Amino acid sequence: MTGEAQQMIQYIAGLIRKPGLTLDENTALVSSGLIDSMALVDLLLKLEEITHRRIPPGKVQPRDVNTVALMLATAQRVGKPRK
Amino acid sequence: MTGSVAGFRNLVEALDAAPAERLFVTEWIDEDERKDVTFEEFRTQTRSQAAILGEHGIRAGDRVIVIMPQSIAAMTTFVGAMTLGAVPAFLAYPNFKIEPSKYRAGLAGVTANLKAKIVIIDEAFPDDLLSHVTLASGVSSDQTKLLRASNADIVSGVLPTLPGHELNSDDLAFIQHSAGTTGLQKGVALTHATVLRQLDHLAEALKIDGNKDRIYNWLPLYHDMGLIACFMLPMVNHTPVVMQSPLDWVMHPETMLQIISEYKCTLSWMPNFAFQFVPRRSPRSRWPQYDLSSVRALINCSEPVRSSSMKEFETAFGAIGLRSSAVQSSYAMAENVFAVTQSVVGQGAGPARVWADGQQFRVNWIIPVAEGAPGAVSFTSSGRLLPGQEVRIVSDVGSVLPPRYAGEILLKSDCLFTGYYNRPDLTEEALADGWYRTGDLGFMLDDELYVIGRKKDLLIVGGENVYPLDIEEIVTSHASIRDGRVIAMGVYNPDLGTEDIVVVAEVEREELLDDATTIEREIRNLVISGLGVAIKTIFLKPPKWIVKSTAGKAARSATRDKLFREHRELRAETLEKA
Repeated sequence: MTGEAQQMIQYIAGLIRKPGLTLDENTALVSSGLIDSMALVDLLLKLEEITHRRIPPGKVQPRDVNTVALMLATAQRVGKPRK
Repeated sequence: MTGSVAGFRNLVEALDAAPAERLFVTEWIDEDERKDVTFEEFRTQTRSQAAILGEHGIRAGDRVIVIMPQSIAAMTTFVGAMTLGAVPAFLAYPNFKIEPSKYRAGLAGVTANLKAKIVIIDEAFPDDLLSHVTLASGVSSDQTKLLRASNADIVSGVLPTLPGHELNSDDLAFIQHSAGTTGLQKGVALTHATVLRQLDHLAEALKIDGNKDRIYNWLPLYHDMGLIACFMLPMVNHTPVVMQSPLDWVMHPETMLQIISEYKCTLSWMPNFAFQFVPRRSPRSRWPQYDLSSVRALINCSEPVRSSSMKEFETAFGAIGLRSSAVQSSYAMAENVFAVTQSVVGQGAGPARVWADGQQFRVNWIIPVAEGAPGAVSFTSSGRLLPGQEVRIVSDVGSVLPPRYAGEILLKSDCLFTGYYNRPDLTEEALADGWYRTGDLGFMLDDELYVIGRKKDLLIVGGENVYPLDIEEIVTSHASIRDGRVIAMGVYNPDLGTEDIVVVAEVEREELLDDATTIEREIRNLVISGLGVAIKTIFLKPPKWIVKSTAGKAARSATRDKLFREHRELRAETLEKA
């Protein structure tokens, strides 16, 4: 697991605050209801911070942020390196 | 040009009269990428889109649904359909913030109601949503289609020949939807003449000058604030507009400061929450980089407008040039094309504000008192009626009330809709003898309209009216409660035959929940001394518990549902308010 993935998982665990829940890169977050879709703005901002990329939110669909692995892939696919 | 647009027979004619070389739309994508079109380029692209639609069989009267990201291409497609006499409607483009099941239900409901001949989507529109789109029935399947627009469709140069159609002022121009991004929204069909009358009133009230003004817009084009104030108004008044995607704004509200500074924008519209959202979510350390001195009106279009929100924005950005007269208010709705009222722009220090006796207000009587008097409640004016607008304030039994009495706002105007598209049932509920029942509560004072809130949100406690926003404002002032993270609601108490006040509020930090008993007692005291009403139950919750709307504000009904799910005792012991 990359450092970026670990940072994202740590952030999401803090967001969900469910004792005993184990998260990995492939845990379904949106489709399983673990993350409220309304919280995704903060999550995308964190993704921008961790990956140092600007992510055009209009190019992101719910399925693109369903897992940490998909989030990081989306950041690579649609994100632009920050100046 | 300035002032009247009433000389035009239709919206396309108004566009055709625009100066060719004047910049019309700047699409701000990010710091490094923008697209500009002049009025001439916009016209050319519009006619190209019209020609493409014509080739696909679109003719006058056909409905055309546009589901594209906020862009110049979406705008030219919309006007292209209008050029043919077709009736376009924008729908929200799917995005990561909209709950997929909610979006699918909304898409299915709205497309089934509009029965469009063509639904235009962009290349990236998710395939799994296509099955939820309903097209017109009663015509062969090869005449109805989903059309994927691509940039290749937009051509420039020689204007193509279009199918001949003379646009009349009484032809339908477009359909806009009444509220929300998804769900079973109500379609409001509007004629060219109706829209032009509204734009004429608005341009006059705002003294729009296409040579000097520049509009900044982050609002979605499927919403009346975005479509009317920030697209149709500048189109017919030949005014440049700088537009960014609503999602970019929500992610990085600081970009609003950046764009206004860079382009010296003069006019913009925002809902109430945005006046707090921008200062709270923009890094304060970077504010000095920006300059808002070009802004002559930043208009709060919510029901109601809250002076505390507007004050927060003014206080935050006064140091970077924002004039105290710039923050203004308006009362607007899709059913009236857009604005009913507008505060006076360019004079004084923003909209009027009144303090009223709290006890008398709860029996619907407004008695002005000194600012800050004990138990007083304050209201901010939404301004004076625009020309052609008539308002009645009526009681629960339909009696017309004089000024200073609060009741439901009824509206009659020269730009009022005639009914919801394909929904005679909803139309019958909303319109009576030419008057539209807005569902909003308000009062008139000194010829200005003050909007109190939605009638359905009103709490009736022991025969007195209590407005949740007043309770929420007091609760949020407690130091342990997160700003704006409070919802007050009424829960019917069958034993007493009245509503109990229930409040759910987030604490600033989770550890504060250890002091819940003390905080609850302090909140009860604040509310009883401020409003004279008692809270039955307070639910203190950790940060991020309250459900937020798509733009980050507390979502009333979704939070209520969540509270009822988690606290079964509420449902077991009471009946929900009808």
